[in-house]
Amino acid sequence: MTYFTSWEEFAKAAERLYLADSLKCRFVTKYRHCDGKLSVKVTDDKVCLQYRTEHAQDVKKLEKLTGHLMRHMASKEK
Amino acid sequence: MLLENDAFLTELTKLFLKGKTTGSVTMTMKRYDGRLKPKPRSGNLPEPNEYKCLVRASLGTKKLTTVINHKDVTKFQMAYGNLLKANMDGLKKKDKKAARGRKKAKATQ
Repeated sequence: MTYFTSWEEFAKAAERLYLADSLKCRFVTKYRHCDGKLSVKVTDDKVCLQYRTEHAQDVKKLEKLTGHLMRHMASKEK
Repeated sequence: MLLENDAFLTELTKLFLKGKTTGSVTMTMKRYDGRLKPKPRSGNLPEPNEYKCLVRASLGTKKLTTVINHKDVTKFQMAYGNLLKANMDGLKKKDKKAARGRKKAKATQ
């Protein structure tokens, strides 16, 4: 699957994929300091959503999404 | 290597420092139902009453793992977020001059 161009769309799709089957979904963040690149991937081994960036302002958005999903993962909700 | 939450964060900081020169730091986050045995082939397991979050990080061959319980999630999530913000500092900063130029261009249009 190709990369998303907008973070907002990516975040929305990622959340939807996670909620569809929360136990199957994984959230991968890859950071390359030497190239100044960051990529994020969310997949359930059927659908794969990806986003990549070189801009520092995306880190804050990533932190927000990570925190949000992490809270849900370690919760009592289904 | 399975670590406690705090130890994981310290090791992750070290991993980021090591990754400054070369290599990619990868972090994976997944929901975890807490099972330590494989799923039985027949019959369903009772629903766990609380889920956990499994966080893995790796750089080259070095691997770190931690499990976050529900009661620790707020603390961990904040520390982890700050750690990411502090360590992902190799990206391009927003070019203020370019942004200003663009705004001006818009205003004159």
